[in-house]
Amino acid sequence: MSKQVTKKSLIVCLAVSLVLIIAGAFMFGFLGFNPDSTTKDYTVIEVSDSAGYMSFRSDFREALQDLCEKEIKAEYPVSSVRYTESTSAGGVIEFVLRSGAPTEEFLTSVRSAIASSGIEGLELADVAVSVHNVVNEGYTEYIWRTAVAGGVALVILFAYAAIRFKVGMGVAALVAAVHDILLTLAVVALLRIPAGVALIGVAAFSLLLSAALNLTVLGRMRSDFRNQPEGLTAREAVAQSVASSRKNVLIVAITLAAVCVVFGVVGAIVGMDLLTIMLCTLMSVVVSTYSSLVFMPAVYACIKERSDAKRAEKAKYNYLSDKKKEKEEKASAKKVAEEA
Amino acid sequence: MGKKKSVALIVLATLVLAALLFISVTPSFYVSAAEKFNSLLSIVDLGTDLGGGYYTVYYPEGVISQGEYEMLVAEYEEGQAADTDVEDPAQNYLAYKGIYLSKDICEDDGNGNPTGEEFEAFRAEFRRAFNAISARFESKGFIGCSVKVQDDYTIRVDIPYTDESVSKLFDSFAYSGTLLFTDDGANPNEMRGDAAHVKGAEVVEGTNGFAVAINLTSLGRSEFRTITAAISGGSDSSSSSSSSGGTLYIKVGDEVLTQASVSSELDQDVVYISGAFDSRDAAQTIASVINSTLDENKVFDMKLDASQIFTFEPTMGEHASVIIAAAFGVFILAMIVLMLVRYKGMGLAHVYGFLLYALLLIVCIALIPAMRVDIVGVIAIALSAALMVFFNVYAFNNIREEFATGKTLTASVKAGYKKSLAFTIDAHLVLALLGLVLYLISTATVRYAALIFLIGTVLSAACTLAVTRFFLYMFLAQPKNKIAFCNLRREETEDE
Repeated sequence: MSKQVTKKSLIVCLAVSLVLIIAGAFMFGFLGFNPDSTTKDYTVIEVSDSAGYMSFRSDFREALQDLCEKEIKAEYPVSSVRYTESTSAGGVIEFVLRSGAPTEEFLTSVRSAIASSGIEGLELADVAVSVHNVVNEGYTEYIWRTAVAGGVALVILFAYAAIRFKVGMGVAALVAAVHDILLTLAVVALLRIPAGVALIGVAAFSLLLSAALNLTVLGRMRSDFRNQPEGLTAREAVAQSVASSRKNVLIVAITLAAVCVVFGVVGAIVGMDLLTIMLCTLMSVVVSTYSSLVFMPAVYACIKERSDAKRAEKAKYNYLSDKKKEKEEKASAKKVAEEA
Repeated sequence: MGKKKSVALIVLATLVLAALLFISVTPSFYVSAAEKFNSLLSIVDLGTDLGGGYYTVYYPEGVISQGEYEMLVAEYEEGQAADTDVEDPAQNYLAYKGIYLSKDICEDDGNGNPTGEEFEAFRAEFRRAFNAISARFESKGFIGCSVKVQDDYTIRVDIPYTDESVSKLFDSFAYSGTLLFTDDGANPNEMRGDAAHVKGAEVVEGTNGFAVAINLTSLGRSEFRTITAAISGGSDSSSSSSSSGGTLYIKVGDEVLTQASVSSELDQDVVYISGAFDSRDAAQTIASVINSTLDENKVFDMKLDASQIFTFEPTMGEHASVIIAAAFGVFILAMIVLMLVRYKGMGLAHVYGFLLYALLLIVCIALIPAMRVDIVGVIAIALSAALMVFFNVYAFNNIREEFATGKTLTASVKAGYKKSLAFTIDAHLVLALLGLVLYLISTATVRYAALIFLIGTVLSAACTLAVTRFFLYMFLAQPKNKIAFCNLRREETEDE
């Protein structure tokens, strides 16, 4: 019998998952998720030109940007520089700071550096320097609606698997899907992978992937159990099906993991947010693969063992009840005779 | 299938795929000096992370930006030089972070910090305004939209590019006050738009385009009948409306949100406002504002100004979408090579099936207005594509197993597909159902990604069960050695 579907393995899996999920929940409770650039509070130094000169003279903008970048970087670490253009007139160069809170004296020094820079066209522009503190707020409606949608999707997954396969399989698919979503979020929280709004999407992806992979294994079990040879125990039958569906699960998992790795590498080149979201997705792929090959079969083996035992118990011819019945009949006949 | 028929079909299929490939992925180019060819990929709507968008900063009344303050200072200095009476902005404003607070809304505590009763009232009202603005943008379901507090007392909103007028959108969402249905006459006929009168508003599509359907309560219905009767001239009214009808204004505070002509008394549970909306988005904007005003906690009394709107680059990097598309292309090429090496003829059928799936998905994403792609959408595409590849591989492996047991090639293909049919349908059905549920209930990023996944799953099912199989039959008509063409082998048995 495969070691993966023993009672011991289920207990180990459950213990590991529970510890990780609880630790992740504590980490989330105390520190929250490590925010990425979309959800992080940040301080930005804005160099704006309300006259709109920098929007049609790129050489002026570049010179101004270089000067300001040099001045700001000398005092504060800058995480990104971006240029935004007004739809009417004007433009803004934003210097997003990694840390620090610029003082009014510093802004004055930047303003005087610009004024004394002698950049061509400066007199035609209307340059202002300001610092802003941007605080992110929660996305309540988005989160609760996705949570409700996830809940309904779980019910549908259970109902479909229970009706089309077996009730036990429905339960196993449901438990595995909940486990996968929670474990993915817990691992992301524990490893402090930067995550933003897209993490909710990753949780939804985790649900879909878990459903796909677990159905692959459960589908194989269903077809295998039909032609199950005599003498196999429930755990052995489950282990055999898992072994034969391993290849199928790995095809999907490896393909998706490869996509995550390739996009992650691309993300490292173009923008860190893509890398971090791909890391979160990779976690989801790893968790769902582990769950479909180890956790879910261990859960289902337990269910199947019990249901097989119950079925065997029902199928037994109950001599005891026959004797009981005989005794009761005799007793009632005696009672009737006594009354008469 | 006959060889000639097979050749004709292969040529036709190849031409269709080539044409689809051309219109889908060819880089944009100018056909003439004025006209440009845009591929389907280039017109895909993107989220803020991959496509950038617009942002604005809402300044409440009494709060000004650094730029505005510097203009006031310049005016003051000019006034001083010309010896004219111009107020000193330093006397009227208090610097706070990157903004300036008018002393009409706060007092200086002596250390340069705002304080006072009025300031507390301002803070409370600002919080209500922020909640209302957040609710309005969230209900729009923008992908990658964010509403943030900047410098404690201004609101920064980022949204993706949209087809509707962005200035009108930002302005409408800043409207403050209660909802009112009125004819705006000297002695106006009015109905309050609160939860007692209005259940909610939604967008509907009719024969005349998009409309906003306003669901009224029974009290709302009776009052609406009264005011429409008055406006249309059906009853005695002191309003300016004539007997030929009048105009009903739907106002939020002092601002007109939308208006409609009324020519007769309207006694109905649902009122439809149509004709003024060129897109679903424009109608949705009105519905979102109406719905937010029905919640008492989201009615605020504070003027917000969003005079400047900026465009911003994709948050994931300027060329993130192009690089992601290129990475997908490389990935597909690698998959094609792998499938051709491993399954030869069956792999070729898969390549045709997969290309059709991928191109149809691009067509859907580009042409269906409700579809937008962000990074979660990209993950949904990857999942759906991986499933498409898997189910074809699953069917091919079943064909291999059947062939190894001694069946003929045709019988193996039939039996292999039959064996994989039930599970393929089950998995696609469950995943499509889950995608549908997520699409119907969720919002924003997940909603768009779920729609992509739903369509991808449907296409994957069609391509796996029908298209790839059809292509396989089409290709099998050509080679002399069909078994070698499909890279199939019999099980080797040892003679005893």
